[in-house]
Amino acid sequence: MSDIKVTALGEGHYRVSDGERHQLAWAAGPPSARWVFFDGRVYVVSPGSSGEAASRHAAHDDMALASPMPATVAAVAVAPGQTVARGDVLIMLEAMKMELPIIAPRDGRVRSVACRPGELVQPGVPLVDLE
Amino acid sequence: MFRRILIANRGEIAVRVIRACRELGIEPVAVYSDADAGALHVSLADRAVRIGPAPAVDSYLASDAVLAAARETGADAIHPGYGFLSESHDFAAACAAAGVAFIGPPADVIARMGSKIAARQLISQAGVPVVPGDTPSGQTDDAIAAAARRLGLPVLIKPSEGGGGIGMKRVREESALLPAIAQSRREAVAAFGDGTLYVERLIDRPRHVEIQVLADHHGHVIHLFERECSLQRRHQKIVEETPSPALTPGLRARMGDAAVAVARAARYLNAGTVEFLLEGTGERARFYFLEMNTRLQVEHPVTEQATGIDLVAAQIRIAAGEPLRWSQSDVKPRGHAIEVRVYAEDPLRDHFPQAGPILLYREPSMPGIRIDAGVAEGGGISVHYDPMIAKLIAWAETRDAARRRAIEALRAYPILGIRTNVPFLIRLLEHPRFAAGDLDTGFIDAERPAIIAGLDADPPPEVLAVAELNGVGGHFSRTVADPWQSLRGWRV
Repeated sequence: MSDIKVTALGEGHYRVSDGERHQLAWAAGPPSARWVFFDGRVYVVSPGSSGEAASRHAAHDDMALASPMPATVAAVAVAPGQTVARGDVLIMLEAMKMELPIIAPRDGRVRSVACRPGELVQPGVPLVDLE
Repeated sequence: MFRRILIANRGEIAVRVIRACRELGIEPVAVYSDADAGALHVSLADRAVRIGPAPAVDSYLASDAVLAAARETGADAIHPGYGFLSESHDFAAACAAAGVAFIGPPADVIARMGSKIAARQLISQAGVPVVPGDTPSGQTDDAIAAAARRLGLPVLIKPSEGGGGIGMKRVREESALLPAIAQSRREAVAAFGDGTLYVERLIDRPRHVEIQVLADHHGHVIHLFERECSLQRRHQKIVEETPSPALTPGLRARMGDAAVAVARAARYLNAGTVEFLLEGTGERARFYFLEMNTRLQVEHPVTEQATGIDLVAAQIRIAAGEPLRWSQSDVKPRGHAIEVRVYAEDPLRDHFPQAGPILLYREPSMPGIRIDAGVAEGGGISVHYDPMIAKLIAWAETRDAARRRAIEALRAYPILGIRTNVPFLIRLLEHPRFAAGDLDTGFIDAERPAIIAGLDADPPPEVLAVAELNGVGGHFSRTVADPWQSLRGWRV
């Protein structure tokens, strides 16, 4: 068990120390989705997830379940009530001649689906509600 | 020399050209779409002209609007950058007709080199090898098969009218030949309404090596050596370097000579790039003409870092009628330069483009590192254009030193608010095959699982601690074994 010390160096810039080794980190964003750059990786962290380490996708379901850009819904693979496993394809989107799968960030049950095939969806709007 | 240059582009290349103009004492004029009113290139130019709404077809591709902006501001030359109008022979012709210098080759040269068939014909007449191939006149299945056997397996069969890989078949064994021909023909007829087939020798695991050339209005043509651009994802380059680890001095000299021969045969003017496919390595490697890019390349900085020649300034001087300042023997590359392209994209979702605000953006500053960026903190990446954020170029005495330098710089290059390929690029540069210079155009597809493994790992406790402190200020410490719940109690 060791202590982690974090020191603010400037706006959004931090030194992280475990008592032996220093490393630099940067962070920005609202509390609901804090972006952190550390050790050559980027993380999006949200505090809600019951003390579990927030994984990249589980950290922010809304982000994982929304299109990153305006896109057309090519197919809807799930229906309300259906149980899905982490990694299942829920929705297939199409944008810029590319297919973009919306993948279940965790195990769960589909509460509702907020889009239909052929529909144009906007970024940031969750397309599936997972229980 | 020109007095005022209009830059018909956006993003990092517009910024790059604006800086070159300033160094030459030329007034830079920017153009912008509605999506770019607050963009970096607009702030850096002396003046900026709105040319239309966000979609490129209504703004950066609207040649009438761009030419009107040039007239309105009294610009005597237009630099097209890359992409957009840079390879439009119609635009180059319109500039000439309007009495504005187009900083690039003449319209007829752009047209000739833009046609794959015309270019291939011209190039083989100049004695430069092209990938052996044939469109048999008797188009029966047996005639196609005979042509394939003449070329020698493996071959690529593709519809002559084709595109997008439709109907393209790789054939490695005799038994697969006739079925592949029939299949390719069916797909060609269905997709293009024309079953004419083309057979080409298949180059297995090729490398992409290109040669930079400069040609002035006084009959001088020189090359500035090679760039290797084998690392591509979705047929788009993401890492480029010079020198190529694959070239021997003899092969390098032959490819340089071939590129100059291509430029001379095309009666080329200004900066251009001759792209080759390279088969094999060492003195016995063979190269084949692929195409000529009649513009500045995205990856031009690696050549600049290694040769010390400013390619944008050279382009401007050539267009103004000045003779080249270097003969071939004056061009002496030094050390090794590696460029990585930093994109707003999600490497874990097939490099899908990302758009959004850039909440935090800090460029690393260290010896041998150059960054050509088109954004700043507080800016953003728009859904309307290519999602490239910046290019990071590392120069060092050796390839391995440049590689390590690029990794160190990327590890100190935070870009937050939008997913980027920075973690992917670090992994790519660390990959043992990259370190060994063992590259080919299939590298990224083949090695992707190893490159992305662990990139979606849970955040370590250090990250959770930083996230907690961010936005709060002060200092704190916490004990690793007791996550989130204890954080508030430990804040100082």
